[in-house]
Amino acid sequence: MTVATRASLRKDDRTERPFGRVLIANRGEIAVRIIRACRELGIETVAVHSEPDATALHVRMADQSVLLGPAPAAESYLRVDAIVAAALATGAAAIHPGYGFLAERASFARAVEDAGLVFVGPSSAAIAALGDKLAARRSAAAAGVPVVPGTFEPAPVDRPDEVASIVAEAEAIGFPLLVKAAAGGGGRGMRLVATARDLPAALAAGSAEAQSAFGDGSVYLEREIKPARHIEVQLLGDAAGNVVALGERDCSLQRRHQKLVEEAPAPGLTAQERRSLHEVAVRAARAAGLENAATAEFLFDPERRFWFLEVNTRLQVEHGVTELVADVDIVREQLWIAAGHELSERVRAAASRAAEPIRHAIEVRISAEDPARAFAPTPGMIGRWEIPSGPGVRVDAAVEPGSRVAPDYDPLIAKLMVVDETREAALDRLARALDETTIDGIQTTLPFHRFIARDPAFRSGPPPIDWVDRSWAEIAAERRSAALDAARHAAAAAARDPAIAASARGTPAAGGAAAVDPIAPAGPSDWARAGRARGIDRWPR
Amino acid sequence: MSETDASEVGVEPYGAGRVVVHGRDGAETWARLGAPERGWSGALTVEVVVDGWRFELEVEDAGRAELRQRATRAREADTASGPTEIRAIIPGRVAAVRVTAGDAVEAGASLLVVEAMKMQNELRAPRDGIVERVVIGEGETIENGDLLVVLR
Repeated sequence: MTVATRASLRKDDRTERPFGRVLIANRGEIAVRIIRACRELGIETVAVHSEPDATALHVRMADQSVLLGPAPAAESYLRVDAIVAAALATGAAAIHPGYGFLAERASFARAVEDAGLVFVGPSSAAIAALGDKLAARRSAAAAGVPVVPGTFEPAPVDRPDEVASIVAEAEAIGFPLLVKAAAGGGGRGMRLVATARDLPAALAAGSAEAQSAFGDGSVYLEREIKPARHIEVQLLGDAAGNVVALGERDCSLQRRHQKLVEEAPAPGLTAQERRSLHEVAVRAARAAGLENAATAEFLFDPERRFWFLEVNTRLQVEHGVTELVADVDIVREQLWIAAGHELSERVRAAASRAAEPIRHAIEVRISAEDPARAFAPTPGMIGRWEIPSGPGVRVDAAVEPGSRVAPDYDPLIAKLMVVDETREAALDRLARALDETTIDGIQTTLPFHRFIARDPAFRSGPPPIDWVDRSWAEIAAERRSAALDAARHAAAAAARDPAIAASARGTPAAGGAAAVDPIAPAGPSDWARAGRARGIDRWPR
Repeated sequence: MSETDASEVGVEPYGAGRVVVHGRDGAETWARLGAPERGWSGALTVEVVVDGWRFELEVEDAGRAELRQRATRAREADTASGPTEIRAIIPGRVAAVRVTAGDAVEAGASLLVVEAMKMQNELRAPRDGIVERVVIGEGETIENGDLLVVLR
C-alpha cells in the first residue's frame, strides 16, 4: 500500500501557509468552520455544493465553488469522483472532509491520495482499520486497552449449527447485551438482547440492517454497560507517530445515539482518572497508526471504570468545546499536520495540562427538530435569527434569516458554545446566552436546551446515556403546554392591540394608541395591502 | 381562544415584537410575536415563540369560534364513515410505498415511509379501512400538507 505523497516532516516552522488552496468536501456549519480556519491561515478555499445550496453561506464565504449535483447527498456531497475532479480542476492541494458524508470512508481518502492530493485526516489505511469496529476492538485489546467485554470475530448469522456456540459465548458475556454492526455507527444494525432465546432473531435482524445500511452484514456481541456515561478523548497525531490527548468530553446527553449536549472536561473525574483515560486513548490511537485528528470513545460505568468503544477518524461535531478549554484551534492544527508539520509546541503544552483543566465549556446542538414530537425533523424557512454574543460565547452556524433548512441533510443548524471558569459558571452563561437567542419560522431544539441549562439535576452532573429517551417526553409535554398558555395570551393581545401587532411587524404604530388598526380589514384594499407587505418582505436584505 | 379570559392576565408590549405575559401567579413570561396575518377565512394567524416553543395560533372572536366548532362537529359526523385523506405532516422524500389501491389496512399499519433529514419516518393508517387511492409514488418529493393516500 502506498501512502500519499506528503512533504517530508517539517519541524515547527510555520512561516509559510500549509497549503495554497483547500477544497472543503462538506456543507453547513462545519464547512463554514473550516473555511474560517483557512481564511485565517491565508489559504484559498473551494466550496462544493448541491443545487439547493447554491447560495448557502459556505458557498458565499469560499473563494470558489463547484456545483456537484442535485439535492440528494448521493448525487452531490457523496460523489467521490466529482469531488476529486473539482479539487483537480480548481488546483486545490488538499481536501478537508469535515464530519459526516465522506469523512470516514477509506475509499474516499484513498481516491484523494491516489489523485496526488492531501486528505486532511488520517491515512486511508488507518481509516479502514478503525472503521472496522471488530478490527479496532482487536487492535485496542492487543495494546492493553480495556475494551467493552464481547466478541472479537463476526458472529455466525443464519448458521443453525453454530447457534449453540454463539449462545454459549453470549452467556459468558452476560445478558442483556448488544448486537452491533462491525461497519456500524449511528445505532444502525444495533439490537438489545435480553435473553438467550432472543439472540438468533436479533443477530439476523441486526445483520440485515447492517447489510442494507453499510453493505456489510458483519455483527458482533458487546455487553450492555448500563447505566453509563459517554466520555471521549480528543486526539491529535502527526506523521512522525507523535500522538497526544487534548482532553476529554462528556456527551452523555443523547437521544437514540444522537448527541444533544457536550461538555469539556467530563465533570467529576479526578486528575488521576483523566491522566489514565488520556493515556489509554493515546495507546489505542498509536496501535492503529493514527495521525491528524481523531476521537476515542469510552463508556464510564458507576464503578468508575472506562471501557473502550471505538475510534472516530475525523473531526467531531463537538470539537469546539475542546478548543475552548485547551485553547487550541484543532482545524488549524489539522491543516498544519496534513501539510507534514510536527505537532506544535502549543499542542504539546495543551496536552500536558489536559488532566488539570482550568476552564469548562458546554455546547448545545441547535437542530431543526421538534423536542415535543420525539425530535421529528422540522425543515422549513428560518424567520428571525437572533444569536447570542458577549463574553465566553461562540456560535458556529451556517444559516441566516430566510435560510431554508432542507429536508435532504442533517438537521443541525447551529452549535452554541460557552466557556467559563467552572461548570456552574458555564451553565449560568449558557442559560444567559439561550435567553438572548430567538429563532422563528421553524421549531428547533431550543426548548430542550433551555430546560437543561437550568435543570438542578443536570447541574449536579451529566445523567446516564438513556436519560432523554426515558424522561424527556413528559417534561416536554408539561413545558410546552405552559408555553402555549402564555402564547395564547400574547396572540390574543396582538389581535386586540394594534400597537402590539404593529411592533411585531417591525413598523411602529404612528400616533400611538390612536393609530388605525393595521390588521383590521379595511375593505378590498386589505388584500392589496397584504400583497404589498409580502413584496416588502422579499426586498433584498 | 374563546376559553381564554384575558381580564386576569396582562400582556405588556416590550419593544419590537416582544411582549411580557404577566400570569395569574405573578410569573412573567417573555413571548416573541411574528407579524399577524389574516388568512382567507378571516381568522388572524400569529406566530408566537415562548421558551423556545413555536406556535402558529389562529385568533378568532367568540362568535366565529362558536360557528367553527359547530361546523367541525358536523364535518366529523359526516366523515366518520367517509374517506380519510392522509396528508404529509413533514416535507421530505417518499422512500417506500407499502400499500396499493384496494388493500385492506388496520389502524397503525405502515402506509409509506418518508425520508427527511437522514431519518426514515413511518406513516401509519389512522384507522382501519380500504386504500382507495395512493396519490404519490416512491422517490417523489413531498411538501407539508400534500395529499398522500386516501382511505375509505
